[in-house]
Amino acid sequence: MNRRTFLHAAAAVPAAMARGDTADIPKYKVVSRYAPWPKPGMPGSQPGQVVSLHSEKAIDAESERVHPETLREMMSRGMRTLTGDKDPRDSWARLFNASDVVGIKVNCSGAPGIMSSPELVAEIVRNLNTVGVKPASIWIYERFKGQLDSVHYDRYVPAGVHIEAAEASRGALVGYDPGTYVEVNFFGEEDTRSNLIRLVSERFTKIINVPNMKDHGASGVTGCLKNIAYGNFSNVARSHSHEKTHTLSFIGTLASVEPLRSRTVLQVMDGLRGVWHGGPFSPNRKFRFYPKRLMLGTDPVAIDRLLIDIIEAKRKAEGAISVWNRDPKYLANRRSNYPQEDPNRNNFIRETGHIEYAVRFGLGVYDVGKIQVRNIEL
Amino acid sequence: MTAACLILAALVPGLYWDRDPATAPALKQAGIERIYVPAERLDEWRRAGFEAVPFRPEAFEKATPPGVEYKIAEASATRMPWVDANGWRFVREGARAWFYEAAKGTAALAAAEPFAYGVQAVVHPDAADLPLAGRMLAFLRRIEAPPLPAMVNIAVIDDGSETTAEVLNLLARRNLLFKVTKAPDPNLLTVRIGSPEYPVEESGDPFAVAVKVRQQLTDEKRLVRIYGSEVVLARLTGDGSRARLHLLNYGRRPVQGLRVRLLGEYRDGQVLAFGAEPAAPADWSVRDGGTEFTIPAIDTYAVVDLLCAETRP
Repeated sequence: MNRRTFLHAAAAVPAAMARGDTADIPKYKVVSRYAPWPKPGMPGSQPGQVVSLHSEKAIDAESERVHPETLREMMSRGMRTLTGDKDPRDSWARLFNASDVVGIKVNCSGAPGIMSSPELVAEIVRNLNTVGVKPASIWIYERFKGQLDSVHYDRYVPAGVHIEAAEASRGALVGYDPGTYVEVNFFGEEDTRSNLIRLVSERFTKIINVPNMKDHGASGVTGCLKNIAYGNFSNVARSHSHEKTHTLSFIGTLASVEPLRSRTVLQVMDGLRGVWHGGPFSPNRKFRFYPKRLMLGTDPVAIDRLLIDIIEAKRKAEGAISVWNRDPKYLANRRSNYPQEDPNRNNFIRETGHIEYAVRFGLGVYDVGKIQVRNIEL
Repeated sequence: MTAACLILAALVPGLYWDRDPATAPALKQAGIERIYVPAERLDEWRRAGFEAVPFRPEAFEKATPPGVEYKIAEASATRMPWVDANGWRFVREGARAWFYEAAKGTAALAAAEPFAYGVQAVVHPDAADLPLAGRMLAFLRRIEAPPLPAMVNIAVIDDGSETTAEVLNLLARRNLLFKVTKAPDPNLLTVRIGSPEYPVEESGDPFAVAVKVRQQLTDEKRLVRIYGSEVVLARLTGDGSRARLHLLNYGRRPVQGLRVRLLGEYRDGQVLAFGAEPAAPADWSVRDGGTEFTIPAIDTYAVVDLLCAETRP
């Protein structure tokens, strides 16, 4: 048997790996020289608190044009409600000051169909400026340069704001911190490390997380936790192989690594657009929808818990299987059906439970009964 | 010239050039003055001012064209790209001389690979690769220091079978450093197909054998770990006072930011990378019984010269 023949024959995954419970949690080794803050940014000052704002005017579903003035009002109301201040500058000043170097973690994996809206990012930058954070002290950042450049944030933010990707070319490690990483062997891969973006550990003092509302073929949904975890570390796609994915435990593990956990002080979930199937990408508009919603808070788990219900409700309305469905009979033949076009087919056995799993790291509140949601309609 | 330099000069690969002497200007422009030629063209090339050596490709062992294939559409037991490399053959087959029929774009790698393993080779480049091949040969000639013995974790007892060949291939592919022996080595992890640890009935799955070897050795005891690329293969040589790490990039583009972990403590290092100025490794760290550093960029080939921690000048 030659190698090619053998590899083909070995493609089937052992049944034990597809159980989907916590029996096969890999052994993680976290290496970091950074100590946590006394009160880490996640879950931050407001665990279990979510401000959810909706406005029909926020985005035009037909043209996908965002209404900046409405967005500004949503952000203002949201931040004031979150902190209890009358002036939004006071709200922002609770979290940021002129000496901060702020990273805005955007999500561009679904661009140009869906991404952290540049209008929203611009509004965040404007608010940072009002409390003294200069444009030169602000970084809009992502892992992959091609995805980041495709959004053209530079057209929306003041000159001087940095727009930087960790990987100018795919797989490049120079943008990552060699001393801060998670080591784990998932499937026998040779490179067993995932390193933190160097800007996060060496330059930023604070981070704002700006994820989208998306379905995700591996992690069930992708929101705050997935964006801050997989979006800040190298070499993470190795956690998926065939239908098995280790997103259940890997997402929370990554999100809890210092200094990422302590410095991520604000979550702004961009739900102007959403993806109800096929995420994190969005090549096909038929799977996009328009919640016209922002969710703000400091607790990524609480926001993501609400996200599950939003994606689940939309999928149900569309007649698609649940984000909790783990039945192997719904697995797609990835060679013939990829990217996934059938909302009743999964590429992986989904690990929607990654959000609840993150509770064991103290990252936030999952129990809906303990989450306080303040709904605001504009 | 010292004996060591003579040995090294002999191990810089030769270039086989079977084209018309009218192509002499292209060779000269590439800085190539010594070539291997078909016997019938020997005199013409000598008259053209070249140090020409008669050569028959069939007299040398044919090497596999080095490179990488990304088989995205094929099912496989691993996400690793498919690397075609000859290092495992060099280790197994010893002091043979090798001939590379280098496809376009691979002449530099084809020249670097045998040099890294200290074997004699002749490379037949695509004409378009002549400038690149010339630069690589010039780079190899600048690399000094006598050859050092190979440093390995594993002793493979070779039964001459194709199965063992594929195991060797896959060990090399994973940077599991080995030597080929006739008898067990008490200082190394010994692998013999047919032994109780590696029964014949399991050997039909060479991938699994390589995985098992890795597990038995453990990653903590590996002499070399590579992070940041699946297509860079390493060879480590050393004598207890110093070491040389050879890094060959089989990929089609440079690797930006290769992280290396070596077992043991080293106190200093220098990177000689093809296409770059000599430089110190970046982000040097000695911790937990290992030394780590980053090489900012590797085009095709780099050597890292290191001094062991206990060595004093």
